[in-house]
Amino acid sequence: MMTFAPLLLVLLPVVAALVSFALPERLSAWRNGANIGVAFVKLLVVAYLLVQAQAGVVFEWRYEFLPGYDFVLRLDPLALLFVTLSVFLWLLTTIYAIAYFDRGPNLPRFFGFFNLCVLAATGVAMSGTAITFFLFYELLTLATWPLVAHRGDDKSLRAGQIYLTYTLAGSVAFLAGILWLQSLVGAIEFSAPADLGAIPPLTLTLIFILCIGGLGVKAAIIPFHGWLPEAMAAPAPVSALLHAVAVVKAGAFGIVRVIYDVYGIGTVAELGLGVPLAALASATILYGSVRALMQSDLKKRLAYSTVSQVSYIVLGASLVGPFAVIGGLVHLVHQGIMKITLFMCAGALANRMGIKAIAELDGAGRLMPVTMAAFSVGALGMIGMPPVAGFISKWYLGVGALQSDAAWAVAVLAGSSLLNAAYFLPLLYRAWLLPPPPGRPAIAELATTRDRMLILPAVVTAVVSLGAGIFASLPFSPLGWATLVGLGYLR
Amino acid sequence: MIADPTLLLPLAVLWPMLLAGLALLPGWGSRMVLLLPLGPLPALAAALVASRDVPVALPGVLLDSGLELGATGALFLGGAATLWFWAGVYAAFYMRRDERPAGFALFWNLVLAGNLGVFIAADIVSFYVFFALVSLLAYPLVIHDRQPASMRAGTVYLVLAVCGEVAILVGLMLASFGAGGAIGIEAVRAGLALPSAHPAAVPLLIAGFGIKAGLMPLHVWLPVAHPAAPVPASAVLSGAIVKAGIFGLVAFLPLGMPAAVAGNVLMILGFSGLFLAALMGLAQAGAKAVLAYSTVSQMGLVMGVLGFALAGGSAPAAVLPAVALFALHHGLAKGALFLGVGLAPVCGRAWRWGLLGALAVLGSSLAGMQLLAGALVKSALKDQAGAFGATLIGLSALTTALAMARCLAVLPRAKSRCRPPLLMALPFLALSGAALWLPWLLYARITGETPLAADLRSLIFEAWPLGLAALMIAGAVAVGLKAPSLPEGDALGPVQRRVAALSAAARAAERAGSRSLRRSRPKPQTVIGEDLDRIEDVFREGAAAAILVLAIAGAVVAASLI
Repeated sequence: MMTFAPLLLVLLPVVAALVSFALPERLSAWRNGANIGVAFVKLLVVAYLLVQAQAGVVFEWRYEFLPGYDFVLRLDPLALLFVTLSVFLWLLTTIYAIAYFDRGPNLPRFFGFFNLCVLAATGVAMSGTAITFFLFYELLTLATWPLVAHRGDDKSLRAGQIYLTYTLAGSVAFLAGILWLQSLVGAIEFSAPADLGAIPPLTLTLIFILCIGGLGVKAAIIPFHGWLPEAMAAPAPVSALLHAVAVVKAGAFGIVRVIYDVYGIGTVAELGLGVPLAALASATILYGSVRALMQSDLKKRLAYSTVSQVSYIVLGASLVGPFAVIGGLVHLVHQGIMKITLFMCAGALANRMGIKAIAELDGAGRLMPVTMAAFSVGALGMIGMPPVAGFISKWYLGVGALQSDAAWAVAVLAGSSLLNAAYFLPLLYRAWLLPPPPGRPAIAELATTRDRMLILPAVVTAVVSLGAGIFASLPFSPLGWATLVGLGYLR
Repeated sequence: MIADPTLLLPLAVLWPMLLAGLALLPGWGSRMVLLLPLGPLPALAAALVASRDVPVALPGVLLDSGLELGATGALFLGGAATLWFWAGVYAAFYMRRDERPAGFALFWNLVLAGNLGVFIAADIVSFYVFFALVSLLAYPLVIHDRQPASMRAGTVYLVLAVCGEVAILVGLMLASFGAGGAIGIEAVRAGLALPSAHPAAVPLLIAGFGIKAGLMPLHVWLPVAHPAAPVPASAVLSGAIVKAGIFGLVAFLPLGMPAAVAGNVLMILGFSGLFLAALMGLAQAGAKAVLAYSTVSQMGLVMGVLGFALAGGSAPAAVLPAVALFALHHGLAKGALFLGVGLAPVCGRAWRWGLLGALAVLGSSLAGMQLLAGALVKSALKDQAGAFGATLIGLSALTTALAMARCLAVLPRAKSRCRPPLLMALPFLALSGAALWLPWLLYARITGETPLAADLRSLIFEAWPLGLAALMIAGAVAVGLKAPSLPEGDALGPVQRRVAALSAAARAAERAGSRSLRRSRPKPQTVIGEDLDRIEDVFREGAAAAILVLAIAGAVVAASLI
């Protein structure tokens, strides 16, 4: 029965999406219940699958939808890493979104597309062939657009337009890449990398550039990162998701798939493609940090920080040393839980006190201590301060860079740490040490309107970020799982 | 009570963390301030009874970390726990009516956990975690009173601490890689001694730990930050927390394998600090600042000896006990001196003379006065410092004695006929006693020699720098000489002015940014900002073009295939 488990993970969000679209606004309680319920059931399914996968079971579901083109859902350890992250964070974001919007307009549409989005992200993770991956990847692009433009004002529509322009162009490039490769070696199955030995290196290099360039748009590698800071016009739950699991991570995940499962580490090294990509990722890391330092808007600073942090994953993947591989994979998870914490807190600050600019953060710690405590954990983690999870990523990436004979990458990591400290610590300084400006609501007043569900998800992710760092070497920790995945590729 | 004494090791760090957590409970802040002395008790017990060199594995924690108490670590641990305990007693009284008790108790306990953990970590990852705790979370203690001067001191502290953290992190990565990916401290140290070790690893570690321990010229944060904190926090900062840096050097320097360049640089910087910092201390107006400079000076002495040992390839077994003994004495004595300075405003008339006497004894001990504990620990250290180093250490008695005299001269005055409260006097006396007595107790066991092996004549002969100091002090008092005055943090002033100008510019840019935020697009103000924005624009236009090319190319390829 559980051979259908992958299918179940894809179908459950469809149910929730249909329910959300269909139910009128007055039945919003039912809609909320259905959303949370489905997200919770998915989490249980994933927990079951994790235990099975630990024992070595690989679930697969296959359907030939065109002659020669199989639609394959496959739950290998790498897929499970991403599925677990997305399903876990989805549950929390659903709870957060319900509290955040309360009774806003157009919520059936929002939650409908929200569920299509989770469907697509799960699908991206579980895809067993390049074509399947592409289908879900495109669905993700399209399902996210109404979320980015949700508010419907000029700014949101513009952001949505920029988002579509960038990502659709990227998709075309990616599609061209996989079709080209498919015409040379036949169907591309992730489970068994095709033999690329007969193809001229120049062709392989061009295909690699097409694929990585296309995926790099979503992963916000420079010079394709321009859409991400603009997409900040989206409501906080969407930004949180966009940055932590859905869009940006789908791009990074795709790059990991291309390097490990389409080309294979050996081929990438032979073609000499790893170092240029690592250099590009390093440039993105530093450039994103410098830009983040210059932002005066809180969400924009976080957005540029994402540009920088997601490239850690690409850096790890392209360095191909054992520790670097693990470091990149584990950062996929760690960046997700830390960044979603930051965005959910930023959203809570905007929602409760109207704080949008960094200069308005003064005294926020006194007024909303729990939110700011969670925010602080996320920010310290981003800097790489132990024992928050970000430190573990950085350690593995650094040692991995040395193993790959790329000591310069360690310098990049060190520089990035300093820059991260330079743009995160002033936020904490303002929030905790400066007095609140006049005109802020009093603590007592805030307490009367408190909505625990707005804070709880961020607290949970903050605690998980801490736990993932402190108990990094437990078997089911992100690091434990990333090691399992990484060792599979290095064997 | 506890069957296995090695379990005391995890307890030593978990217990203060638990106390820190309790301080977060609403309304528990002032209660937890009263309980501050409880924090270091398990560590004290561990230093006394836990088995040496028996690793305690902590599976699942960090990267399968572990704790282990070595002989050197036990001395550091015991000294630090003693100091933290008595400073805790002092703080429980001193901070009892503080405005922010919860914050003080929270960070006091967390820093304590980190400080103790550094001494018992068995692997570099947990070491780094503890080091970051003790290093970064001491910032709230430095700025506890929120005075503008403290806030400035805190900023300097934090900037240097973060730079130090990064240097140590990169150094440890290089070291771990050189040791074949091992994370055990012993394995990593052995790896650093190999010729294949990365040449940047040891210098980075020296710089990182040097920042913490006040290695000249990285010391500038220390004389501003230590005096800014409340008295008990200054005591632990200067007595125990700087020792985390020394212990870092002790744990990682590849002693036994001659490393000429790194060793000589460390020795030169250390011994320069020994003299220069003491002289700068002479020019300070605040007693706490003088003491902070004296800490820089004394830590310079230790680092100079470590540098000599590193350059000459002395065996760790010979050097480390002497270093640990010196650190023990300095920690307790310096802690007591800080608490004593805090006592001065509440010691009227007769009490003041008593206090001056006690401080003078402690100061003479630090300076190496014969027959006091300080001379004992210095003689152990001199044996490891070579002839030249030993001479320098002997000479430093002069500068140290002068600095101590300066500290007494600028001691704050008491208002009237007040008498010191018992809970403030007792920790001072206890720490003074421990500083003067513990080295005698432990000397034979640690160094394997009997104390006072030298004959009386050489003792007297070696005392000439102190005699000279006494003459100079007497002369200065007789003439009514005024010492020159230097700002706290010496070289910091010019640097800070430039940084202040820069940060003012940055703030202006940020303000301008938030103003223009209300308009549609933020306009950058600084020159660098404009350049980067131009780059960003190029990217934006270039990206569109690049994506278009990719897309067209893709479409052509796709069309030709299907």
